[in-house]
Amino acid sequence: MAQAPTTIVDELGIALANLADAATGTFTPTLRLGVTGLSRAGKTIFITALIHNLLTGGRLPGFSPMADGRFIGAQLAEYPDATIPRFAYEQHLAALTGQTPTWPESTRRISQLRLVLKYQSANWLAGWRGPATLNLDIVDYPGEWLLDLPLLSLSFAEWSREALERANRTASSREATPFLEILASIDPQKPGTDTDAEKLAASFTRYLRQSREDNAMSTLPPGRFLLPGDLEGSPALTFAPLPPATQPVRSTSLYAMLEGRYEAYKAQVVRPFFKDHFARLDRQVVLVDTLRALNSGPAAVADLETALTAVLSCFRQGDSNSLTRLVSRRIDRILFAATKADHVHHTSHDRLEAILNRLVANASRRARFAGAETRSLALAGIRATREGSLLEAGEVLPTIVGTPMPGEVLDGTSYDGNTEIALFPGDLPEHPDSLFEDSTPVSLNFLRFVPPQKLDRNAGGDMVLPHIRFDRALDFLIGDKLA
Amino acid sequence: MKRPVARPTATDDTQSRTTRAPRAFLPDDVSIDQTSFDPPPDDGATTPAIKSMGWLGRLAWTTGTILVSLGLSLMVDRLIRDLFARYEWLGWAGVVALALFVTAVFFLILREILALRRLRVLDGLRRTAVLALANNNQHQAHQVLSRLEGIYAHRADLAAAHKSVDDHAKHLFDGSELIDLAERGLMTPLDRKARALTAASARRVALVTAVSPRALVDIAFVIYESIRLAGAIAALYGAKPGFFGFWRLTGAILAHLAVTGGLVLTDGIVEQLVGQGLAAKLSARLGEGVVNGLMTVRVGIAAIRVVRPLPFNALSQPVVRDFLPELTNLNPEKADPAG
Repeated sequence: MAQAPTTIVDELGIALANLADAATGTFTPTLRLGVTGLSRAGKTIFITALIHNLLTGGRLPGFSPMADGRFIGAQLAEYPDATIPRFAYEQHLAALTGQTPTWPESTRRISQLRLVLKYQSANWLAGWRGPATLNLDIVDYPGEWLLDLPLLSLSFAEWSREALERANRTASSREATPFLEILASIDPQKPGTDTDAEKLAASFTRYLRQSREDNAMSTLPPGRFLLPGDLEGSPALTFAPLPPATQPVRSTSLYAMLEGRYEAYKAQVVRPFFKDHFARLDRQVVLVDTLRALNSGPAAVADLETALTAVLSCFRQGDSNSLTRLVSRRIDRILFAATKADHVHHTSHDRLEAILNRLVANASRRARFAGAETRSLALAGIRATREGSLLEAGEVLPTIVGTPMPGEVLDGTSYDGNTEIALFPGDLPEHPDSLFEDSTPVSLNFLRFVPPQKLDRNAGGDMVLPHIRFDRALDFLIGDKLA
Repeated sequence: MKRPVARPTATDDTQSRTTRAPRAFLPDDVSIDQTSFDPPPDDGATTPAIKSMGWLGRLAWTTGTILVSLGLSLMVDRLIRDLFARYEWLGWAGVVALALFVTAVFFLILREILALRRLRVLDGLRRTAVLALANNNQHQAHQVLSRLEGIYAHRADLAAAHKSVDDHAKHLFDGSELIDLAERGLMTPLDRKARALTAASARRVALVTAVSPRALVDIAFVIYESIRLAGAIAALYGAKPGFFGFWRLTGAILAHLAVTGGLVLTDGIVEQLVGQGLAAKLSARLGEGVVNGLMTVRVGIAAIRVVRPLPFNALSQPVVRDFLPELTNLNPEKADPAG
């Protein structure tokens, strides 16, 4: 039986926190924006672009408060939770706009930021009071940790079964074999020792990390095994899946020991992470890097779909009114975004959106049933390429022009990060379902590009970050709150 | 006593007919009867065909026009001859006057045709924009943008708006987004002016109605003011209607009022009550003034909707309610028509 992801005590704590928010938010309401996405989906870029565009009044013609001229400005503010690091917006921006622009490093720890938005309401009653303010709270975190959320409703036996099933699949045989050999050599019923546990955990961790690197697999919980943060080596991170027990489990056995550690991991690592950051969201944007999965083939695409469905089922979505909002916050708008839309030509964007829709179909159906509004977009928080067209063999190929990252390889050519190329990455399939089938190979190759080199400056002297449909995403996510 | 008899009812040949065994064929050998599962919608059923004049009517009009023109030329011919017969210089003066008259009429007709074309261009532009919005078609949206640019190119007050639209348009990929951008950028200043014109007209009508001694006077004034307002709004959005263009515009506005009359009534039911109830309690003339003012507002809104080259999508369209403060405000200096 699936367990509820939270305990009654958690629920009480969440309700009380919501009530406290409602009390303090009477004058300055707070909007919690959940930026969700697996690792490398582009969360940090999305957040950096969001902050920069709002702070400097960037080029956002589709963001209605700004287009109507009602948006007054934004400011960074102190985050109320003093124990969590601040989102390193300045460093990320410096990396992106420096002499040699680089993408920010992948996120290794959790960080938060509060943005205070000032606007003039179009509503005559609210507008009569003068400019209004809204606090926008954003959290950035390693995407790997998101994979832990589905664990909250799985027991050790259930998780072990799923994990071993995945390890035994042919696609991951190369990475999983060492772990499976060690697992076969150890009897789970013998008295548990730290040496065995560590040996198992170490080989399990290696298997998980390798399958992510080589096969672009997404469903690889527990996420802290991929990115431990400051928990490296602690007992809560020293466990591994075991085959189901055939006889009654003794309390001193290895099985009981690992089961205890799994439960501790859930209770002390995953549940606080969920409770503090995901149980009380108002808006959610789900960033999906479809191109990376497409590069790796059908198995990775199917795996991405599984991971997204499992992760998204943990969020509380639904319609909320001002009365129920006092104690229970629900996500009433979800944006599914296929990031890195600048890696394909704009004529392929509708196909990219179709693929995204297919990937999140289950999650989106569930959200709509709960009463949340959903939308899907192909977007790029920061646009790294331009577009061009090329005549080859009497055929016009829509291409994208940009500088590939150093080390990217296409047709045996390795790029050094300085040469600009025009790339035709292949046609995205017309029917998204063909991506899940092995029989029809899709020849696609998306390269990663370095950030844009020369950026425009606006009248105030601030950098203008080029983007694709970022303004529409923003309008859907927070535009109505600034109405 | 008869013996019971039983005979089989079916004859033998039903048995002998061969049963058809299941078989499979290549699709190439088969003639496909049903090409797709969703038959395309029948356009004829949804859009009524425009009834064109029958050949009899056309014949009558053509021959009638020929006769009238022949009569006119004959008349002119006789006039010139008569003038020459009287004095020669009078004849020449007549010829010169005729030549000038013909030239003037020619240019007038040219202007009318151009004005009619402009109205049609705005209509076509709106249709294209609606399509581009619905299909999210980037190509069509760019077409709309460049044509808007052409229409408003000589307008100095829209130069800044043009520039910002151009700047943003380069970075957008969606047709609907481009149209929204153009609407926000170019239509906002025009809408604001159109609203101001409507509000000012409505206020004048309300004032004249409130002080006019006779009902006939205010009816005449309402008509005069409505015509002026419609012309001003059309010129504002770039239509500049001539005489015939104006007739077309009036027809469109009346048709629009007739169609939306019911909708406007529900939209403005409170306003109606204000006009005929509250204000009428204070003074019968004042109440009538408000009602007449609202009538003018409706004409203004209809004119905006008829001549605006883009549909209302990103911006909200004006409703009667927006103008109510304008009408009931007794101190016009403080009124802000820009809303």
